[in-house]
Amino acid sequence: MKYVDEYRSAGIAHALSGEIAALVRLGETVRIMEICGGHTHTIYRHGLEDLLPAEVELVHGPGCPVCVIPMGRVDDAIAIAEQPGVTLATFGDMMRVPGGRGSLLEAKARGADVRMVYSPLDALALARNEPGRHVVFFAIGFETTAPATAVTLLRARTEAVANFAVFCNHVTIEPPLRAILETPGLLVDGFIGPGHVSTVIGTDAYRFIPDQYGRPIVVSAFEPVDLLQSVAMLLRQRREGRCEVENQYTRVVRREGNPRALAAIDETMELRESFEWRGLGSLKRSALRLRPAFAAWDAEALYELPGARIEDPKACRCGEVLTGQIKPWECGVFGTACTPERPLGTCMVSSEGACAAYYAYGRLRRPQEPVVA
Amino acid sequence: MTVEPERCLTCSDEAVEARVVAVEELEAVVSVDAGTTTRVALDLVPDAAPGDVLLCHAGIALERLAPA
Repeated sequence: MKYVDEYRSAGIAHALSGEIAALVRLGETVRIMEICGGHTHTIYRHGLEDLLPAEVELVHGPGCPVCVIPMGRVDDAIAIAEQPGVTLATFGDMMRVPGGRGSLLEAKARGADVRMVYSPLDALALARNEPGRHVVFFAIGFETTAPATAVTLLRARTEAVANFAVFCNHVTIEPPLRAILETPGLLVDGFIGPGHVSTVIGTDAYRFIPDQYGRPIVVSAFEPVDLLQSVAMLLRQRREGRCEVENQYTRVVRREGNPRALAAIDETMELRESFEWRGLGSLKRSALRLRPAFAAWDAEALYELPGARIEDPKACRCGEVLTGQIKPWECGVFGTACTPERPLGTCMVSSEGACAAYYAYGRLRRPQEPVVA
Repeated sequence: MTVEPERCLTCSDEAVEARVVAVEELEAVVSVDAGTTTRVALDLVPDAAPGDVLLCHAGIALERLAPA
């Protein structure tokens, strides 16, 4: 397949749908978790659940980087943004995430200089263009995004840009997967692996999933046909008694990942002892901070941060959504107190969040069921 | 870099495939959709050449796609 049309071809999708139906046994339940929020978005947007037999259940995983950032880190970013002379730059979605003291967008409305950028390199350009401001980039994201931050830091050092810093909140994919795999009574039979994270870290990084936890994983691209093909590959492994790491996204992903990207991350960042994840709690060695050699560009070294741990709103069940324990519509505030316009929880903020994706594409199709609180 | 307005390309494990139009030192001009071009850093794919298709995320190229 060569062009995007083929990856969205209804004919190919229906053929795969038939293949998938033939790979399950009548009446069994196969629960497949898609780890990545980008996959969740594709599944809802293209109505892929309608092409799967009743035996296959898709469970949404923790892979939306906006959704896993705890409220306390948003408050820390607001505290930086409110410092005199500071310009805080971040991705658009991050501006809407509610912290304990509101969102960055609300801080902007109160007068803080908060700006949206598409890339950390844009934030570095802001610093170059406005030498009178101290520009801090609020960095979030998995291993997909960390290389962009790393490259930006290396350029900042080469160019000796002194009025630029990074507030680093990059996270890594393995610890939350282990946390899910170690959940008592885990009901996930296989995983669809994140395509773009894997571009950086490679497919070998997932070998612990079959080797240590006995679950298969297929690294997948993002178009509807890609995802259906990945489901079929997982079911075929199950049918043939195999349990392996397989790669559906062969057009981009290599076993070893991108060594240059990994080297850039390693040069600029190191693992933290632990990091608080929304919904998963504190996970050891699950996030990155800047290395001491980059202290001059490290917002955590340059600014006093509140560092408070803020409980999620009681009504919000983002944690259970993120770990696949409940579906978005099973949360009592879904679509009522919590909507994309006024999100209570992070899963409703990003378009990759399971709640926002379901709200946008699926909510009108499901009969409203009574919600048990 | 936006291809489809309802799709978040900025924050996460989401990236776009874009064809290189021109290379200028460590930056490429890439075409992401008919008529839409943007610039991406080539630090991680330094040998990219015009005609290559790159996987781009947050302003940098992450990988070159295998030729179809």
